[in-house]
Amino acid sequence: MSAPAPVEFRVGLASCGVANGARPVHEAVEAAVREAGRGVARAVGCGGMCHREPLVEVIDGHGRCTVYTHVTPDLVPALVRRHLRPKGLLTRARWMVAGLAESGNGDSAPHDAATEETTAAPRIVLENCGRVDPLSLDDALAHDGYEGLRACLERFTPDEVVEMISASGLRGRGGAGFPTGRKWSLARAQPAPKYVICNGDEGDPGAFMDRLVLESDPHRVVEGLAIAAYAMGAEEGLFYIRAEYPQAVRRVREAIRQAEAHGLLGERILGSDFRLRFEVREGAGAFVCGEETALIASLEGSRGMPRLRPPYPVERGYRGRPTAINNVETLACVPWIVRHGPKAFAALGTESSKGTKVFALAGKVRHGGLIEVPMGVSIREIVEDLGGGVPKGRTLKAVQLGGPSGGCLPAKLGDTTVDYEALRESGAIMGSGGLVVLDDRDCMVDMARFFLRFTCHESCGKCTFCRIGTQRMLEILDRLCEGEGREEDLENLSELADRVSRTSLCGLGQTAPNPVLTSLRYFRAEFEAHVREKRCPAGRCTALTDYRINDACIGCTMCAQVCPVGAIAYRPHEPHAIDLDLCTRCNMCFEACEDAAVEVTSGGEVCATSPRMSAAERAS
Amino acid sequence: MTSALAAITNGRAWLRRSLATTDDQMRVARRVALVSGVVALACTAVLIAGQAIAVWRAPAEKSQIVELEGQTKEDAEIAAELHDERKRQTDVSVSRETRGRALAWILLLSGGIFVASGKWAMSLRPQPLPSLDDLVAVRFAPPKRGKVREQGAGAKEKKRTAGAEEVASKEPRGERGGNVAAEMVAHVSHFDRDQGNVAPEAVDLEFVDELIDRFGRGREAAIPILQAIQSHYRYLPDEALQRVCEKTEITPAQIAGTSSFYSQFRRSPVGRHVVRVCHGTACHVAGADQITQELRRHLEIPPDADTDSQRLFTLDKVACVGCCSLAPVMMIEEETAGRLSPATARQALDTVAKRT
Repeated sequence: MSAPAPVEFRVGLASCGVANGARPVHEAVEAAVREAGRGVARAVGCGGMCHREPLVEVIDGHGRCTVYTHVTPDLVPALVRRHLRPKGLLTRARWMVAGLAESGNGDSAPHDAATEETTAAPRIVLENCGRVDPLSLDDALAHDGYEGLRACLERFTPDEVVEMISASGLRGRGGAGFPTGRKWSLARAQPAPKYVICNGDEGDPGAFMDRLVLESDPHRVVEGLAIAAYAMGAEEGLFYIRAEYPQAVRRVREAIRQAEAHGLLGERILGSDFRLRFEVREGAGAFVCGEETALIASLEGSRGMPRLRPPYPVERGYRGRPTAINNVETLACVPWIVRHGPKAFAALGTESSKGTKVFALAGKVRHGGLIEVPMGVSIREIVEDLGGGVPKGRTLKAVQLGGPSGGCLPAKLGDTTVDYEALRESGAIMGSGGLVVLDDRDCMVDMARFFLRFTCHESCGKCTFCRIGTQRMLEILDRLCEGEGREEDLENLSELADRVSRTSLCGLGQTAPNPVLTSLRYFRAEFEAHVREKRCPAGRCTALTDYRINDACIGCTMCAQVCPVGAIAYRPHEPHAIDLDLCTRCNMCFEACEDAAVEVTSGGEVCATSPRMSAAERAS
Repeated sequence: MTSALAAITNGRAWLRRSLATTDDQMRVARRVALVSGVVALACTAVLIAGQAIAVWRAPAEKSQIVELEGQTKEDAEIAAELHDERKRQTDVSVSRETRGRALAWILLLSGGIFVASGKWAMSLRPQPLPSLDDLVAVRFAPPKRGKVREQGAGAKEKKRTAGAEEVASKEPRGERGGNVAAEMVAHVSHFDRDQGNVAPEAVDLEFVDELIDRFGRGREAAIPILQAIQSHYRYLPDEALQRVCEKTEITPAQIAGTSSFYSQFRRSPVGRHVVRVCHGTACHVAGADQITQELRRHLEIPPDADTDSQRLFTLDKVACVGCCSLAPVMMIEEETAGRLSPATARQALDTVAKRT
């Protein structure tokens, strides 16, 4: 009988974990493990359960794993004690005493939790996220890291690799869904020298899967890009990563350094004739640089402005040479496909969309985080089953897909499946995978304005309609939200939207009007209420809404205590009142009220009443 | 009469304000408990001491009286002395009794206050740690539809549909929300030492030369060089940019173009702390506008500026910091704080300001 493996404690230290206080937890686990003299403390990335960070995952000697959520440093000693028997007699006695002192909370035999994935689909992109130490090559190697690259170099010719990717049906995960295999074969046919670029300029507000993969499993992306380079015959590769993701930049740099030190990059990789050099460049904060030609312009040191295509980057790209640019998520799929074969990948998904897609689930949903679902599941399944639905007391109104290039799908279209074509038909796009859930308190006009403000700000200014047209559209939407909408505004909005999308060079301009168009298509009544009745049915547009306190008020002063501008007089046991001249419509009284007494009104109609629930209930 | 009422209302309001935070309440509760406890202890000590002295003296005094009584039988003149002695002893015991009664009342009162304030302080203590079992999670288990699982005998009345998923969400959120600001601030403080220099007076051009040697002199090096300059000075000083133009192929036009194009670069010095409020989709939906509005109002930043008058904070709106599940989010320097409300955001800045 072999000795059981040491108990492993994995603490998620990606940005989301750190923001929730995972660092002290990790320190506490390390200290406890050091004291015990056995067990391993690992800093891993994020497994996608961001809403419950800090997470501690314990894998005992028999491979059983238990995930503890919302762990605080105070809880760590009890947690470690439960899974470890310390080495020294003295420590053991000390821990026993401490355990007895704390036995009040009914802590008994370890809880066997079925913590392995219960979702049917295998994880492809997120396979190792939250499992491996992102800064350890050994850990990556122990989890099949670089197996795909090794297989390519030893068993497959570059043409076979391209063939394999084509057969898998993998399509670009950056948004447009261009078949990856075709891109690679086009690049393969070009003369050397060539470049491969990993596009980690995830500018889409509301999507963070690239950050998570780069932070949690950088070796996987490095391997994916290396395979791409091998398939295309490139000898130089670049990572273009947003400077807003400092941790991702650091970890990818470190991963490249480790891979080079182990002969997985550099000259004569794994004993073959293949050589490859990687470099990391930081994006400087321009959304448009997610577009291929703009990204190349940015790499060359200029303003990130797209240019006319063709010639496409696969013919003439970085430094005028053929360049293949792939998204982080696309590249993260590649090693899995090589290891498991294209058939296993193609078995997942729908007719035209294969494999899985990672979505960043956020907004008005109980369990936000990163989820990986097979193509073909419905939006409703994602929101209700995986996200746990909207919080208590609210109703699902719409789902925003694809960020500023996508659109809002109303709740009644919840059966739309995750599939490039089905989504495009509905007016939204797959996009990079941001999925923001909206409830009845979200105004669609305000959402359209939000995205348009973003694209308007991020427009590089090259194409006139994108530069000025979006500005004019934004002015119209601003007017609507201010209650100064005019009858002809909706007409103008549609016309401008059409012109902007037809006369723009790049994806940014072509898709910029999408949020407006889909909102107009599915929520026209809401736009009309803004124009004709000067009313915001969701009670969100501050210029059109008022707050008031109804007769249900018991005079508990909760609202008066939280009001930042003192618009509610402090009068205990008397019904409160809001001074609308002082009120900034910050919604804090609405959040604070526990007795259904704060109402949001617009145009004389009540839009929403604060739910009757305690603060603790609300928080969960 | 009305003014008295108003004074009382004002006083209560003042009391409420000064006891606004749990920390304040805790401090007051602790102080009251300490004072009342000390008083109670002192009373007890005095009472016991008085009683002890009385008991110790009693035989001597009694024997004195008996002796005096014996002498009185022999000598009538001593009767006056006996009378005086009796009177003195009676006075002493009466005064001791009165003092004892008063002390007992004080003892009762202060004991009561001690117990009450102690209970108050106990109630303000952080909630007890949750049982580990409550924290065990099932990773994204789809809830079993239509099934009702009961969590043991105690939870029978609370029928929960989603099994372990739901159990795990019995989280100590309220407590966490309040502490986020403080925890986060602990990480920020090191900036005070390292980067206290808000706007370096003299620009160190040797540093720029080093950068040029490191990144090269071609056009392509422009963005990495600007990024390095920006991260060193926290803005792009004109002197440094001029130096770059002099020593490389990068033209002033290119620098002007790129530095104005990319949102990362800024040409004016920043405040001591850069606060980036995320305005991504998720944060927008969760109320990022209210956060920015409240912070601007709180820091009294004029509409056309981004830094407060004391140059302590520079407020920046950013597109997305990639922490959507924690929305609304802001970053104070490198540290991210999530699940903000206008109030906790304001408190976080106040805590940073206090440390500075």
